[in-house]
Amino acid sequence: MTDQEIFGKVKECLIDALGVEDDEVGPEATLVGDLGAESIDFLDIIFRLEKVFDMKIPRGDLFPEDILLGEGNIEDGKLTEKGLAQVREKLSSLDISKLEKNPRVSQISNLFTVKMIADYMKSKVG
Amino acid sequence: MRLEKQVAIVTGGARGIGRKIAEVLASEGAKVFIVDLADPGGSLPQGMEFIEGDVRSPAAAEKIVTGVVDRCGRLDILVNNAGIVRDTLTLSMERSAWDEVIETNLGGAFNFTKPAARFMIARKRGRIINVSSIASRVGGKGQGNYAASKAGIEAFTRTVALELAPKGVTVNAVAPGLIETEMSERVRDMAGNALRRAIPARRYGSPEDVAAVVLFLALPGASYITAQTIVVDGGLSVAGPRPGA
Repeated sequence: MTDQEIFGKVKECLIDALGVEDDEVGPEATLVGDLGAESIDFLDIIFRLEKVFDMKIPRGDLFPEDILLGEGNIEDGKLTEKGLAQVREKLSSLDISKLEKNPRVSQISNLFTVKMIADYMKSKVG
Repeated sequence: MRLEKQVAIVTGGARGIGRKIAEVLASEGAKVFIVDLADPGGSLPQGMEFIEGDVRSPAAAEKIVTGVVDRCGRLDILVNNAGIVRDTLTLSMERSAWDEVIETNLGGAFNFTKPAARFMIARKRGRIINVSSIASRVGGKGQGNYAASKAGIEAFTRTVALELAPKGVTVNAVAPGLIETEMSERVRDMAGNALRRAIPARRYGSPEDVAAVVLFLALPGASYITAQTIVVDGGLSVAGPRPGA
């Protein structure tokens, strides 16, 4: 499957899940800030990706929400050094420099972009 | 036929309120699968089909929901109705009686809601209707387990409703009062006419009274109602003393 085909399928899933327009789903669009996703949408997106790509996506693999639940990962609404280390480990392909400067929990969702999903799917389907 | 081509699952649908709900949904054209521990026997009305299953089992719930969707290609309505009573004063209640009621009445709703919601959000439509009871808000001696399970159902209803609202799925509850079913027979027998007279409507409710509200919540016109509990009790739960009335 080519990169373009993968991106097309990811885009299709996002349009269906989020009810957004085709031209809104650019590679750098953030799921929450630009496309208006909320918690239930992340699950919906995973279900749709699983169907379209015919594969199982382990929970917490694409959107590692378990970081927020880990003991000692958050203090005063901000990721601790331990939490940031986990973000680095689980989202190793992403540039998290902005999050390091402003480690507020709400900023994590800004890491989730259309490109990030496409890259993840590419790593799975090759 | 207002529910033509729609597919519904009604847990605890072999008897009582659940059976009537299933019949009413089927009479409106829905294909209705009733899930219960034992086959109700006899021939079922057109559009209804029995599936044996224990709502306490998450694996069984997943299998049943997936099976229905595989077969029909959709699931539009889930009615979490399965419920039991094991009444006894709290001080004499065995832990097993507590667990059994909570696992059936509340755990069962969770077990079916989870897989059903997954299919519903994919289609961006669906109705989940939970059958609660006025026991959730009106104290009743000997019903600690049942009351807790029903209060839990209503809290669960509100939470899931908020989670699923963006996906076009509504989640509501119906809270019946004293309904003429086998399950309420003991309470009605013990209290006699005094209890019936305490109901402002001066009669016990019928399964049809409850089924009518479930149907309303399942119809297209109710698409903007979510996270609500509709009480169907002839006014019992808000009635105070009626001196001289």
